[in-house]
Amino acid sequence: MAGYNKKAETAHVKAEHNQHDEEHFREKHLMLDPLPRGQMNDMVMESMYTTSWKFWVVFAILSVIVAWGLFYSWGRMILEGLGIAGVNRPAYWGIFLVNTVFWIGISHAGTFISAILRVFKAEFRRPFTRAAELMTTFGLVQAGFSIFMHMGRVWVFYWLMPYPNERMLWPNLHSPLTWDLLAITTYLLSSTMYLFLPLIPDLAMARDRSTGWRKNFYKILALGFRGTEGEWSHLRNAMSIFAFAIIPVMFSVHTIVSWDFAAATRPGWNSSIFGPYFVVGALHSGMGAVIMVLAVVRGTMKNMKYFIRPEHFDAIGKLMLIISMTWAYFFFNDYMVQWYGGDKWTHMLLHFHESGPMGWMWFAMLIFNIAIPWAVLWNQKWRSTPWIVFIVGLLINVGMWFERYIIIPISLSINRMPFTWRLYHPGVEIPLGIGTLAFFILLYMAASRLIPLIPVWEVEEGQMAHELKKFGRETVVTVSELE
Amino acid sequence: MAIELKVSEVKMGEAYVGKWGMVIDQDMCTGCQACVAACAMENNLSFVGETDSGYGRSMHWIRIERFWEGSYPEVKMTPNQPMLCQQCGAATCEPVCPAFATVHSQAEQLNLQVYNRCVGTRYCANNCPYQVRSFNWRDYKRPEPLPNQLNPDVTVRRRGVMEKCTFCIQRIHKAQDKAKSEGREVVDGEFTTACAQACPASAITFGRVDNPDSLVSQLARVHGHGVKHLEELGTLPNVTYFKGG
Amino acid sequence: MSDKLSRRDFLKLAGVGAVTTAILTGCGPASRLVKREPYLQMPEYTYNGLSTYYATTCRECAAGCGLIIRTSQGRALKTEGNANNPLNLGKTCARGQATLQGLYNPNRVRGPIKHTRGERLYDTATDPFNDDFADAKSNMDWAAATQTVADALKNNKPEEIAFLMGMAPDHLFDLVTDLANATGIQSPVRFGALSMFESRATLSKASENLFGQTGLPLFDVGGAQVVFSFGANFLETWLSPVSYTRGFSALREAQTKQRGKFVQFESRMSSTAGKADEWMPLRPGTEAMVALAIGRLVSEIRGIPVPRAFSDIDPLDAASKSGIKLEMLNHLAEMFANSTGALAIPGGAALGQSNGLAVAEAVLALNAVVNNFGKPGGVFFSALAPNQTEYQGPASAKEVGEFVQKMIDGKIKVLFVHGVNPFFELPISLQFGGATKNIPQIISFATFPDETALEADYIFPDHHGLESWGYQRVATGSVGSVLSGAQPVVSPFYDTRATADVLIAAAQLAGGKFAAALPFKDEVEFLHSKVTPLINEADGFFSAPDVNTFMAYFQQFGGWWKTTDGRSIPNSADVLNRSLSSAEAEFAGEGEFFFVPFVSPTLAEAGANKPWLQELPDPTTTVMWNTWVEMNPVTAEELGLEDDDLVSITSEAGVLEVPVYRYPAIRPDTIAIPFGQGHTAYGRYAEKRGVNPTDLIGQNFNEAGDLAFAGMKVKIKKIGKKKPLSRLESIMGVYGVGLGEEK
Repeated sequence: MAGYNKKAETAHVKAEHNQHDEEHFREKHLMLDPLPRGQMNDMVMESMYTTSWKFWVVFAILSVIVAWGLFYSWGRMILEGLGIAGVNRPAYWGIFLVNTVFWIGISHAGTFISAILRVFKAEFRRPFTRAAELMTTFGLVQAGFSIFMHMGRVWVFYWLMPYPNERMLWPNLHSPLTWDLLAITTYLLSSTMYLFLPLIPDLAMARDRSTGWRKNFYKILALGFRGTEGEWSHLRNAMSIFAFAIIPVMFSVHTIVSWDFAAATRPGWNSSIFGPYFVVGALHSGMGAVIMVLAVVRGTMKNMKYFIRPEHFDAIGKLMLIISMTWAYFFFNDYMVQWYGGDKWTHMLLHFHESGPMGWMWFAMLIFNIAIPWAVLWNQKWRSTPWIVFIVGLLINVGMWFERYIIIPISLSINRMPFTWRLYHPGVEIPLGIGTLAFFILLYMAASRLIPLIPVWEVEEGQMAHELKKFGRETVVTVSELE
Repeated sequence: MAIELKVSEVKMGEAYVGKWGMVIDQDMCTGCQACVAACAMENNLSFVGETDSGYGRSMHWIRIERFWEGSYPEVKMTPNQPMLCQQCGAATCEPVCPAFATVHSQAEQLNLQVYNRCVGTRYCANNCPYQVRSFNWRDYKRPEPLPNQLNPDVTVRRRGVMEKCTFCIQRIHKAQDKAKSEGREVVDGEFTTACAQACPASAITFGRVDNPDSLVSQLARVHGHGVKHLEELGTLPNVTYFKGG
Repeated sequence: MSDKLSRRDFLKLAGVGAVTTAILTGCGPASRLVKREPYLQMPEYTYNGLSTYYATTCRECAAGCGLIIRTSQGRALKTEGNANNPLNLGKTCARGQATLQGLYNPNRVRGPIKHTRGERLYDTATDPFNDDFADAKSNMDWAAATQTVADALKNNKPEEIAFLMGMAPDHLFDLVTDLANATGIQSPVRFGALSMFESRATLSKASENLFGQTGLPLFDVGGAQVVFSFGANFLETWLSPVSYTRGFSALREAQTKQRGKFVQFESRMSSTAGKADEWMPLRPGTEAMVALAIGRLVSEIRGIPVPRAFSDIDPLDAASKSGIKLEMLNHLAEMFANSTGALAIPGGAALGQSNGLAVAEAVLALNAVVNNFGKPGGVFFSALAPNQTEYQGPASAKEVGEFVQKMIDGKIKVLFVHGVNPFFELPISLQFGGATKNIPQIISFATFPDETALEADYIFPDHHGLESWGYQRVATGSVGSVLSGAQPVVSPFYDTRATADVLIAAAQLAGGKFAAALPFKDEVEFLHSKVTPLINEADGFFSAPDVNTFMAYFQQFGGWWKTTDGRSIPNSADVLNRSLSSAEAEFAGEGEFFFVPFVSPTLAEAGANKPWLQELPDPTTTVMWNTWVEMNPVTAEELGLEDDDLVSITSEAGVLEVPVYRYPAIRPDTIAIPFGQGHTAYGRYAEKRGVNPTDLIGQNFNEAGDLAFAGMKVKIKKIGKKKPLSRLESIMGVYGVGLGEEK
């Protein structure tokens, strides 16, 4: 495969000379560059098996960070109370909820890419749906951690669940937090299932190509999938049901998360646009995260340069640009209406956002979320370059984290009782936040060793559907409907 | 056919009459903190120390706010404003609690905080426009023998639990029990909250707002210019302030 | 009687009708203490879940407010005001509320100790907020302790034995006075930081000068229509704050009468001034001048010939010197002259200056223009307490200084200290600390391990106030004559012993004239002897046929008081015909800032060891747990100072380091520091917290002998470090600091 990589990297140069050449299409588009099934399967298996010592070093470091940041710090906080964190009156909610919203936001990209793009039959999605779906599931795990950390008495977390008990106590269905919990749980379960369904054929593929404990592992997970027409048909049905069904779930989750804020009687929160604003914000950070993950996967895992090509960065880059614009529109809309409303506390708050002690964060948010994506992603060459989009994705994620930070602890600092205004200074939230980040990466790294990160069958399917045809001197791509 | 628009006739809170209520005369309040101390002693409030209290973590259930108007030499201290749970008729803290830990007492028309049901999401405190809830950020310790003075009628709270002014509900219940055992109604002024009891300026008066003959109702009528804080939010607070002066 | 009468009978006898009735228990020495009993052996009057209430007297300051303590199973749970007591009518201040945190304070002296001077009394190595650490163990028994006191009495010449006592309790003071009178030992010297900051001696001296009678004036704030207060912080700690706050409340009451107006003249806005309609930030030292100028203007407005008292003053001159505009003086004078109930009050820092006596006289004379003496809303002499025949004030600072001189001269061989903490309360410049080195034996009766106990040879701890018997004379604040009674509401928590009992027992051991001076079995018998004369007095709140019944009622109701008006009317005939001085005060030391120390309204002189008092926000600055210096923001800007910046403040007497609070309501040429913190001992919550502003006060007195504590000038220097103050208020929300720009 070594020869191939070189080709891919020079694809752009060649493309200029050879606009209509068949070779050019091949190099550029995965779907038009089919390899034999067996070879492709082997490439994916190889990428799982090939683990360098660097992987284990990073893995070990992250494990230590998780042990310190997540488990030790959280244990200490459970024993000593939230006093070791930075939350106070009036900023009763701090980085824990910032992280919760952030991770739920990250998780949105997976569903967006895999379900929405699947429904709309966007062909470029095929090689990286799995990578995005994994982000969904693992991001939600971090969101769950963050929200449980936030609780004062996490040891009675099950009181938030509806479960039969002798006192007939039920969670309060009036509370947005209950909706939240139900929505997140639904989302976690459905996105896990939605991750699992397309994984079955690949697990079966892996089962057939592995030995030892891996074989047993895949055997159990593949649920006896043999690839008969009936199984495929069931699987397709299930996937199309899920693909449609999970879209409203995805929208509802972040909308409901936004209602935690929008339904409250606080200046700056009580905004009716928060639902779509949060959904778009989630996609913004999520797409940024996907592109970062893809860049890392492409750069570090074996054989990935075949599957993940500049065309994919290009496509996601376009999406990011559109989402960034949408986010900017919603941001402006929210700001405008709040400002125009003239409520004195809201004015105070908006002013505080910009010129308060954390004003730099507000400006950084706008630069990272709007200015930089707009400045970079309009250019096809730039948005096709992995390291550039990696940086843009990173900045967008930082910017979106800032956005949540501004909405939660900074906005909480200002309320209708000026006597209680107070700034928020994070304490143990920092190790805990780093811990969740490390845990996310750790889970992802572990998953990359255990499950095929590329949905091979989807790629194969796409490649089968795509064909290059010549009409006279023109080479034209045709796609046949398979499903 | 004319369309009737009755918007202007709808006045928030007009139809609402609570049960227990308080009037606070800010013109009389001297800011002496006797109510704060009395509340702390009656309700087993924890003290949190210098660092935490300076970081917005003090456990006061009642605090006295004051601001400044003008600048030297025409500077004025605004009338002291004791801020405590307003025991809203439509409390914003109640619906947001996922665990039903802060609920409305139908019998007493008060906002209850059920400590042993609280899981510590702090949503109620965020949503309280008056910012009068305090959270147990730590297990604040009382070294021996300080626990000897703990009021046996009031739960001692542990870390991770929200708390707030209860209008001294233990006193309400005690008075009701006593009246019941004597086969009568609770008499106005028979008992009062710890803060009202201590207040040397008698700036705080507590009683039944649904009884037109009670002292609180009379005061509210006589003054006539009582203010309910953030009434525009529709919280229907049960504490009335007289600015006076 | 106590032997024959069961408690149950007694309850019937006493009658428990009133809602707030205090249930009496124990009416004789044999059964006088309530024991903490397990449920199985519960006393018959205790029911599960039902509390027992005892009436007693607050000992947090000397005012003598009546308390009802709620107890359950022998534990004191809550302080409530005694509604029967005419002084406080059921109300309390914050310090009264927190008195339980003294009773159950983790740092108390737990038993008699023979002590090496300077040796620590408790361990502070651990975190003061967590868990227990041991106080010094008692290392002797009470028999030995009593013997020690007896030896001290017997083995020294009577005139070399001295008692330094606090402002409370009065019964012990009476006992020591009796002992002194009978045996020739020195009369006890009474002192307290509060009396110093109140300038009590100046007030009574001015009354003597003007009215020819010593006594503590009583100002009927509640009955007045216009109140001018010159430095009197009567809503905080001054004389009898609960009673004066009630008066203020009546002044402000606007349903049945017109709302009364209140103007405060002082250079720093105290929390009292914060409640005023007008705050007059006059230049320190010009109070007398302003009062006389207003007096002159008032007499002009009223169309009476300007009396001699005001004849020398030129209002324009007063206006320019004080910084109050002439129009404002005219406005104020009109307000005063046209009111039907005008009242002027001198007190606090205004009197604690070199011309303090002149200020007090000038302000009292202002009352003479409107002749409000003896009228509602006017000036009275406070009612003398039932067992008192003439006004007895505490020692002025000058008298304490003379006492210290005696110590230095070696004229005192044994010093007993009770109820006062001179190492903390007296300015260092009075040199009490050094003088103690000349005293061979110091015996402290401190309840708490305070700074003075730390320098004593023996500590024989007295009970806490709530474990004690006694009474307190109400010096001022009530209409009638009041003797507030104290009784133990719980049994002593530690191995402490009533100082009266120790002295009585020691006197018996010492024998001779000592035994004859105190011929009592114990403290209670002594109290009986003191209240016996009251049985036959008329107009009592209750009467009783014999002393035991009387004592039972005394305990049940928390004292004895007269139902008649006991106030007397000052003879004002000659007031206006005197020539009054309008001289400005002189300030000691070089520096550009006037220095105003004031008593922290929440901590006062002895509150620092109660954690909840520490956590009460100061009424003006909302600072908790520390000391600050108040500085006008303009001054701070000039000095390049921001909030929480540490500054060093230098006076002729000493240097302090203290963080800045930019206080908008203080003159730019004045700084102020609260008194109450800065302990070097006194328990874990008090120790090493803040500074003590008395360290800056030099040895300057006014003509009445009171300390000119507000008569200093100081220098300020920026240190360059910060000490963040713990505030309840939001510095952003209240001052707009950190919001980006001005709010």
